[in-house]
Amino acid sequence: MSFPKPQATLRSATGIPTGRLAVWWLIASEVVIFGGLLGSYLMHRLGHPEWADAAAHTNTWIGAFNTFVLLTSSFTAVLAHKAAEAGDGKKAAKLLVLTMGGAVTFVLVKSAEWAYEISHGYTITANNFWSFYYTAAGLHALHVIAGAIIMGIIAADAYRGRELQRVELIGIYWHFVDVVWIFLFPLLYIAK
Amino acid sequence: MAETAVAVQSDEHHAHEDHHGPRGWLKYIWSTDHKMIGMQYMFTGMFMALIGGFMAYVFRMQLAFPGISVPLYGQVSPGEYNALITNHGTIMIFWVAMPVLIAAFGNYLIPLMIGADDMVFPRINRLSYQIFFLSAVVLLASLFVEGGGFGGAWTAYPPLSAVAEYNQTDLGSSLWLIAVALEFVAFLLGGINFITTLMNSRAPGMKAYDIPLVCWMIVIASILFMLSVGPLLAGAVMLLFDQTIGTGFYDPARGGDPILWQHLFWFFGHPEVYVVLLPALGVTIEIIATFSRKKVFGYKLMLYTVVATGVLSFFVWAHHQFIAGIDPRMANVFTVTTLLISVPIAELCFVIIATLYGGSITLTTPMLWALAFVAEFLIGGVTGIFLGASGADIYFHDTYFVLAHFHYTFFPIAIIGTFAAFTYWFPKMFGKMMNETLGKIHFWGTIISFNVIFIPLFVLGMGGQHRRIYNYQHFPDLAGPEMYQLREIATVALLVMLAFQLVFFYNCIRSWMSGEKAGKNPWKSNTLEWTTESPPGHGNWPADQMPNVYRGPYEYSHPDREEDYWPQNEPT
Amino acid sequence: MSDNHDVNYKKIYFWLLGLLVVSVAGPFLGIGWVTLLTAFGIALVKANLVIQNFMHLRWEKKLVKWLLMSSLILMALFVAGVAPDVMNHEGNNWVNVAAQAAVERGLSDEQSEGGEAPDGGTEVAAAEPGVFSPVAQFNLICALCHGTAGDGIGVGGAAFDSPPGNFTDPVFWETRDDERIKTAIRDGGAAVGVSANMAPWGALFDDAQLDEMVEYVKSFRPQGQ
Repeated sequence: MSFPKPQATLRSATGIPTGRLAVWWLIASEVVIFGGLLGSYLMHRLGHPEWADAAAHTNTWIGAFNTFVLLTSSFTAVLAHKAAEAGDGKKAAKLLVLTMGGAVTFVLVKSAEWAYEISHGYTITANNFWSFYYTAAGLHALHVIAGAIIMGIIAADAYRGRELQRVELIGIYWHFVDVVWIFLFPLLYIAK
Repeated sequence: MAETAVAVQSDEHHAHEDHHGPRGWLKYIWSTDHKMIGMQYMFTGMFMALIGGFMAYVFRMQLAFPGISVPLYGQVSPGEYNALITNHGTIMIFWVAMPVLIAAFGNYLIPLMIGADDMVFPRINRLSYQIFFLSAVVLLASLFVEGGGFGGAWTAYPPLSAVAEYNQTDLGSSLWLIAVALEFVAFLLGGINFITTLMNSRAPGMKAYDIPLVCWMIVIASILFMLSVGPLLAGAVMLLFDQTIGTGFYDPARGGDPILWQHLFWFFGHPEVYVVLLPALGVTIEIIATFSRKKVFGYKLMLYTVVATGVLSFFVWAHHQFIAGIDPRMANVFTVTTLLISVPIAELCFVIIATLYGGSITLTTPMLWALAFVAEFLIGGVTGIFLGASGADIYFHDTYFVLAHFHYTFFPIAIIGTFAAFTYWFPKMFGKMMNETLGKIHFWGTIISFNVIFIPLFVLGMGGQHRRIYNYQHFPDLAGPEMYQLREIATVALLVMLAFQLVFFYNCIRSWMSGEKAGKNPWKSNTLEWTTESPPGHGNWPADQMPNVYRGPYEYSHPDREEDYWPQNEPT
Repeated sequence: MSDNHDVNYKKIYFWLLGLLVVSVAGPFLGIGWVTLLTAFGIALVKANLVIQNFMHLRWEKKLVKWLLMSSLILMALFVAGVAPDVMNHEGNNWVNVAAQAAVERGLSDEQSEGGEAPDGGTEVAAAEPGVFSPVAQFNLICALCHGTAGDGIGVGGAAFDSPPGNFTDPVFWETRDDERIKTAIRDGGAAVGVSANMAPWGALFDDAQLDEMVEYVKSFRPQGQ
C-alpha cells in the first residue's frame, strides 16, 4: 500500500499508538452491541423458563469443540503478535494463517450444526429461543468472517515485512471475538 | 495525556508532502482529505434538509387546510401523511443534524484546530462518508418503492413497525430500517476517527485543557453515540428479522415484548439528543468567546459539566415511556434523574452568560446566531421540565406540547447551530466573507418566524391536540375555529421562514463567487485554524511548518498584550 | 510498538482448555447452582485470562481499562433498567397477559407431552408474515378480555358490568351456535343482544378468517358438549 500516512497518524499524545487506541474504541462499541443483544436474550430467557425445552436441543459437544477451536486460534494469534514484535513478519504471517484456519473451521462446523438443526425443524422462526440463538450466533459468526478477511490482508502485508504493528491490532479484535463466544457458549449451550 | 510526542518517520514525511490527492473531478469521489470529506457531509446534509423541510411544508399545509391539494405535491392521503412526518423526523435527526454538526464540522475543524494535517485514518474517513451516502440513497429509495415510505413514526414501535399488515409499507419499512442501521455504522466508524485524532494527534505543546471546547464537544458527542447505539443496532437487527423473516422478538403472542424495543430505542434515543446538542453548544461557545473578546468563564467547569451531563444522559431514557406501561417504580426513578439533568444544562447557560458579561461584544451575524441559540434552547429546556415530571407527562405525552418542546431544542441545535457555524467558518472554508446585511436579514427573518411557528403549537398542545393525526376535523374538540387559526398561523410562519432561506442561499452563492476576500484570520480569533490559508491547502500547513502550541485557546484581552487576542501558536 | 511482556502464553492456553473441560463437565453433576457456577463463573475467568494476557490489558494504560469498564457498566445499567419490564411478567398495577400465557402453555406442554415437538411446540401459532393465524389474532385481540384460556378472565374486561364470555363454561354453549359467534365477532355484541363492550371486529377479518376465528373459539368448549 503506497498511501502516505499523515503526520496525524504517527503522533501519540496519549502514549498509546494510534492504531491500538482506535481498536480499543472499536471494541468498546462492539461490547455495547453484543451487550445489548445478549442482555435482551438473558432477560427473556430468565422470564421464559419454558424455553429450557428448546434449549435442550443445542449440541453441547459441538459448542465445546467450537470453543476449543476459537481458544486455540486466540493462542496462535497472540503468538503471531509475539513474532511480529520480534520483527519476524514471515512467522507472524504463518501464525495468522493458522488463526484464519481456526476461523474457517469454526464457520464450517457451525454451518454443519445449523444445517442439522434446521433440517430437524429448529428454524429461526420456530420459537423465540431459536430466534435469539441464530441471531446472536449469526452476528458473532459475521464478526468471525469479517475478522478473518481483514486478518488475511494483514497477514499478506506482514509476510512482506510491512505494517507489522497491525498484527497486534487484528489480534486484539480476534481475542474480543473469542471472548464473546466464551460467553455465548454457556448462554446457549450449557445453561439449559 | 500530559506529554505530547511527535514521531515522524522521514520517508512517510516526504511522501506526504508530494502527495496531492486525486486531481480534477475524481477528487470528489476518491479524496481522503478531511476538508473535502467534511464538505461532502455538509452538502449531503443540507440537501437532505431541503427534503425534510419540504416534507414539513406539505404536512403543515395539510394540517392547516385539511384536504387541500398542496402546491408542488397534491393531495395528502393519511398513509402519506404518516410517511411524511416519520421521514421528516428521521431525516432531520440522522441525515441533517448529525452529518452537519458532527461529521461536517467535526471533520473540517478537528484536525485544523488541533494543529494536525488530517484525521488519523483518512481512508476509513472516506469509507464512513461512502457508507453514509449509501444510507441516504437507501432512505430516499424507501420513499419511492411500492407501498410508499415507512409511516410508523421515527420511533418505529412494534407491532406497527414489525408487521406489514399493520403498517402497509412492507418494502418501505425495511429499507428505512436498513438506512438507519447503515447511518449508525457510518457514524461509528467516523467516531473512532474523531476520538483517536483528538486524543493522539494534537500539536506539540497542546495539553488537554488547551483544546478548543468545540473539539471536546464533538468528541464527547461521538463517545456518547458509540456507547449508546449498540443495543439499538442489535434491536434493529431483531426488528428487521421480525419484518422480513417472521421472527417474534417483539410479538407478545410469541413470547416477545414490544416494550423491549422501546427500551432499546430510548436507551440510545436520549443520549442521542445530547449527541447533537454538544457540538451546537461547542460552536456557540467558540463564537461567543471570539465576539466578546473574552476568555470562556470556566473552561474546566464547562468541560466537566458536559461530561457529567453525558454520563447522566444515560440515566433518563424511560421518561419517553412514562405512559407506555412501564413499571411505575421505574417512572419515579426516571422523573428524578430527568429533573436532575436540567441542572448542568442550566449551569452551562450561566457560564455562557458569565462569559458575555463585561465583554467587548460585536454583533456580527455568527454572534447573533450564537446568542439566539442560547435564548431559544433555554425555552426548549424549561418546557422539558413539565414533561420530565411523570405526573404532568400523563397529560402532555403525545400532544403538541412535546412537539413544540423538542422543536425548541432541536431547531436551535440543527438549524441555528448550523447557521452559526456556517457563517463563522465560511471565510475559512471558502476564502470569502459573507455579506453581513444579507446575513442579518436572514437571521431575523428565520428567528422571528421560527417562534411564530412553534408558540402556537405549545398552546395547541396544552389544549389537548394529539400528535400524528392527519386531520383534526375528525375530532370535534380539536376542530374549533380558534384551534384552526393557530394551525394556520404556524403554517404561514413556516412559509415565511422557508422564503427567508432564499436570502441565505443567495448570500452563499454571491459571497462565494464575488465576496470580499477573507484573509487568514478575519475575526481575529486565537484558535489554530485561523493561522493557515483560507481555504487551507492539502496538509493544512506546509509539512515542516506544523504549529506548536504555547497557550490555551481563549486568551483574549490579555492585560499584558497590545492586541486583544493571542493566537495559540505564537511563541511566548 | 509494545513492550516486552513476560507471560507464558502456552500456560494460559492450557489453563483455558482445562477450564473449558470443567465447564462442559459441570452439568453432568446435575446440580443446578453448580452448573451455573461452572458455566458462567468459568466464562468470567476465561474471559479475564484472555483479556488480561492475550489482549495485554494488564499492561495497557488506565484509560483503556476505564473505557472498557464504562461499557460494561452501561450494559449493566441497561439490563437493570429494562428487566423490571421485560423479565417480569407482572408488576405494580400491570400484567403481561400474553407472556404469562406463553409460559403456562410451554410448561404444560412439557408436562403432558414429555418433550418438545421439533417445530417449537410452545407456541401453536407460527405467525409468518402473510399467514393468518387465528390463535395469534385471538391472543392479540380477544384474550385481553376473554383471557388466553378463553375463560372470560382478562385484565381488559375486569371492570365490565357484565363479564366477557366464558368459552370454557358449558352454560355459555347452551345458547350459542357458529352463526351467532361469527356475528358477534364481526358486528359486535350489540348485534347479538349482549353488551356493546364486545366491539365489532369485522374490519380486520374476511369471511374465511372469521370462520377460522369461530373454530378457534369453539376449541375452548369443554369436551363432551
